[in-house]
Amino acid sequence: MPTPPSPTQASLPPGVAVTGEGDQLALEGVLDIRTLAAAETALTHWLRQRKSRALDIGKLSDIDTPGALFLCGLRGKGVELTGIRAEHKSLLDLICGLELKPLPKPATVPRWRQFVIDIGKGADEAWRDALDVITFIGRAASATGHALMHPGSLPLPAISRQVAETGVNALPIVGIMAVMISVVIGYQGVAQLRPYGGEDFTINLVAVSVLREMGVLITAIMVAGRTGAAFTAEIGVMMAREEVDALKVMGIEPMTVLVVPRVIGLMITLPLLAFFADIMGLLGGAGIAHVQLGVSPIQYVDRVHHAVDLSDLLVGLVKAPVFAFLIAIIGCMHGLRVRGSAESVGKETTRSVVKAIFLVIVLDALFSIFFEKLGW
Amino acid sequence: MSASRQSHSEPIVSARGIVNRFGTQVVHDKISLDVMSGEILGIAGGSGSGKSVLLKTLTGLHRPDAGKVLLNGKPIDEVGNVEKAALIGVLFQQGALFSSLSVAQNIMFPMRQHTVLPPEQQERIAAMKLALAGLPADTGIKFPSELSGGMVKRAALARSLALDPRILFLDEPTSDLDPIAASGIDDLILQLNKSLGITVVIVTHDLTTLFTVCRRVAILVDKKIIVDTIDKLMHSHQPWIHDFLHGTRAQGAMSARKHAHGNG
Repeated sequence: MPTPPSPTQASLPPGVAVTGEGDQLALEGVLDIRTLAAAETALTHWLRQRKSRALDIGKLSDIDTPGALFLCGLRGKGVELTGIRAEHKSLLDLICGLELKPLPKPATVPRWRQFVIDIGKGADEAWRDALDVITFIGRAASATGHALMHPGSLPLPAISRQVAETGVNALPIVGIMAVMISVVIGYQGVAQLRPYGGEDFTINLVAVSVLREMGVLITAIMVAGRTGAAFTAEIGVMMAREEVDALKVMGIEPMTVLVVPRVIGLMITLPLLAFFADIMGLLGGAGIAHVQLGVSPIQYVDRVHHAVDLSDLLVGLVKAPVFAFLIAIIGCMHGLRVRGSAESVGKETTRSVVKAIFLVIVLDALFSIFFEKLGW
Repeated sequence: MSASRQSHSEPIVSARGIVNRFGTQVVHDKISLDVMSGEILGIAGGSGSGKSVLLKTLTGLHRPDAGKVLLNGKPIDEVGNVEKAALIGVLFQQGALFSSLSVAQNIMFPMRQHTVLPPEQQERIAAMKLALAGLPADTGIKFPSELSGGMVKRAALARSLALDPRILFLDEPTSDLDPIAASGIDDLILQLNKSLGITVVIVTHDLTTLFTVCRRVAILVDKKIIVDTIDKLMHSHQPWIHDFLHGTRAQGAMSARKHAHGNG
């Protein structure tokens, strides 16, 4: 019995050689997955030439399963394998004895048809999705309303944990984003208004757009990406690990213990975060005013005081709980949609974030039109 | 792997003085283990005794806190990727099939990375590996999520055999399977070992597998390892090993062994 190849031998590339001539050829060396292609090319010509042929494989020191498959294929083509070593016999018997069928090809559909099918499927899915969202909003709103009307049953520890996780920990990133966005608006404002001599109105521009729109919108988008995704992932993992089923078996509504605290928590947090973002945005505006316009902070406060009134702040902040409700609902809904495996957690999380941001922006546009019509 | 490589004389994997610690908790205290070429070795031990950590150490996925692992006589860290892929195949406990690829693509994936074979030939080889693992050809176009537990194990086994490794590491190959599927896997392991001469290391607490498939059994107990044939371990006075091999569950496994040997 040959000894296993020593490390030095193993690092050498193994080779295969064809010797002999005419009907009688012999293979030498190692016939494995690495040398298979070489052996095949060396033998193709010979295989086409004659009818009755014999191949001596006694000098092969090693055969692996692809090699054996190749030899079995030769045997099927009428090549007689001779000189089979005892230690190769069981391998060849096993591989030649396998009932081999080619892998079936997956059914293919013409591209144009696939396109039509995709459109139909997409439309159907969007419709069902819309119904799902509406149903879930209704159920979650009823559960939340019920909880709020029975304050004794409110899961206060769970809510406070949610506030800490979704709010306090989000302060740095929301603050930085708000400062950045007012810097962007401020620079553009100065650049665009200077030709008309109206660069001083940049302060009005920054203050009004931050308070009415940007503060809350940036916060909502940040929270949708950060907290909405976390909701989907947390609940999704619980779904995948059957924890949600365990709750149901205990007679506990997942809606009450999983969704309600998150919805209430985020509805408390998001307005506060949005207010914080407003403050930070105005601070960013102060920086821009000082650097670009030479307006001192005291003057800036005075200018802002004249530029905006309370309604601007309220128009911005009143949207926050609505966005919060929507983000929490979408996040929880997709979490509860997770089925079976862990990979669906990833898919649902992506969908949840995309849908939440999309709806937040659509809703914000509607709010803008609404408040415009009201003249606020 | 061909039968010519079958040899019981030399260790193909050796662990020397392995120490594994997690925080202050010592899991393995200077354990040494030799896996002989061509053998089927079972690794057993209670929950939390570090079976899976030992498997990860032996396959080079986990670096031990002390000691070294020699693969084919060479420190495992120094074995190159290509060489390692040709030497080691691992069947992970949950299969670890790539969920975005079909079963056939899963099997062809390592071939595509490490060989230059044309796609049609890779497909033929993949079909052969499927048949070798006892799966019908139409499993090839299915995705892992469409497979039952037993089929996942077989498909994952087919993938671990993709490059004809010399050593096959199996992590709990029969867990989560019904008894019929489990004995199917047991038979498959025996057949692969016999026909391909492949060395098999099985981490399991399936007593039937230990009794009927494994020639030697390594038991992890009290941070140490005790390696012997199952017959000798039966006479061990170590309390855990005694309970493990003489409990009510062991009785059934014992009779399965007698049954298997009676027929063989």
